[in-house]
Amino acid sequence: MQKKKRKFGVAWIGLAALLPLALTACGGSKGDTLTIGTQTYTEPKILAEMYKALIEDKTGLKVKIKPDLAASKVVIDAMKKGDIQMATLYSGEIYNGYFDIPDTKDRAEVLKAAQEGFDKNYGFKWYDSYGFENTYAFAVRQDVADQYQLKTVSDLKDHAKDLKLGVDTTWLERDNDGYKAFQQAYGFSFGQTFPMEISLVYKAAGDRKVDAVLAYTTDPGIKQYNLVTLEDDKHFFPPYDASPVIRKDMLEKHPELNDIISELIGKIDAKTMGELNYQVDVEQRSPDEVAVEYLKQNGLLD
Amino acid sequence: MLLLSSEFLQDFVDLIRERYPDLLRATGQHLILSAVALALGVLVAVPIGMLLAHHPVKWARSGVFGVANIFQTIPSLALLALLIPLFGIGTTPAILALFLYSLMPILRNTYTGFRSVDPAILESARGMGYGAAQRLMRIQFPLAFPYIMSGIRVTTVYIISWATLATLIGAGGLGQLIVSGIGVNKEELVVAGAAAAIILALLADGLLGGIERRVARRAHPKAASK
Repeated sequence: MQKKKRKFGVAWIGLAALLPLALTACGGSKGDTLTIGTQTYTEPKILAEMYKALIEDKTGLKVKIKPDLAASKVVIDAMKKGDIQMATLYSGEIYNGYFDIPDTKDRAEVLKAAQEGFDKNYGFKWYDSYGFENTYAFAVRQDVADQYQLKTVSDLKDHAKDLKLGVDTTWLERDNDGYKAFQQAYGFSFGQTFPMEISLVYKAAGDRKVDAVLAYTTDPGIKQYNLVTLEDDKHFFPPYDASPVIRKDMLEKHPELNDIISELIGKIDAKTMGELNYQVDVEQRSPDEVAVEYLKQNGLLD
Repeated sequence: MLLLSSEFLQDFVDLIRERYPDLLRATGQHLILSAVALALGVLVAVPIGMLLAHHPVKWARSGVFGVANIFQTIPSLALLALLIPLFGIGTTPAILALFLYSLMPILRNTYTGFRSVDPAILESARGMGYGAAQRLMRIQFPLAFPYIMSGIRVTTVYIISWATLATLIGAGGLGQLIVSGIGVNKEELVVAGAAAAIILALLADGLLGGIERRVARRAHPKAASK
């Protein structure tokens, strides 16, 4: 009986010793895997799935997707650390305090500043845009627009204190294009603000829990809940052109990626992106299905 | 550690100084969510626990525990999301989700507390002419009380912690500081939100502990003064 007990004891200790080794092995061989990180909303997920399909089809690389990183800042931090190597980012992100930026809101200049800044400071290659921008826009229910005759954001000024506003989880805290800066630029505040996961704001407006929302312009929720976007007449919001971004060291190790990534540059306009988002968010299809179908329909994948 | 850098500490102090109205408001929202959910949980789970303790029908107990257990094991975020189609966003589904979470611990502890009462004591009480109400108030409840309170205290700490997710469905609370702090990379916000939640939980636990001692002193004056 003693012998059996000792054998078991050795076996357990052996297993326990191997466990940490097994866990480190799970880290994976970074050389053969490309990890694409995404934010929490659908759009970057669809784009990540497009690249996954293209890269796995045309190279020997395996692509992993790390979804639902809390915000673009978290995505960038992950890329800095090397936990992910690629992502979709928006040019207006330069306003989030990474490095000094020129005082401009011109779309082309903002993109250039992003490309130069992220290359110089973090070694990222920030490509030109897919062809669309996904920026903030105030939107209200059709009946609210009719009631107060709203066409521009400034039209909200006299009525905002009676309105409830739904926003994403970070807008109230953002420094440069957030609520505080908005209040200074437009000179008014909303009665009540409700931060929540961005995908919920549209339904919240539709259900009359909020009257106005700060939407993302390519989100299908705007159309789905019959919301009307208001013109940013004071040009408060910076441009947010979407581009693929990749760590340069990954590109150096696998230069074939450059052509693959460039395949989607300038190919997707806002209307198209909005429709793809709609298919996932409203029609409940999966992002990879929608991504692959799009690639096949456009002759980018066979 | 970034946390202890002088820059962080400066940001943190500035935050507290400049934005304490926001902090207080978030704490207040958080308190309301937690307190209402807890109160509802106690109102529902304690009587049910009492009834189940000596219920003649055996499957009633396993049935009720089974249901409460299911609510407990659903991941918090999933539960919040599942309630949205029915209750929309905001404080209602948040309180409802927290309430459902509070049921199991309080229920189980109440049940155990009432079962722990020695049946011999109840028998002798019956023999001495104690009616059901008297047995309940004079014997069963005082003896089960420490168990019940233990369940409530544990649940309180859980709920205050889980209520941080309520911000994702528009119910506000301290989670708002934490989640937005993550999104704009301001650690001082994250720490402030977490610290406030911890303090809230400690205060609540301390308060409940005080109540527990007071009730115990009144029920067993001789024992408590030892």
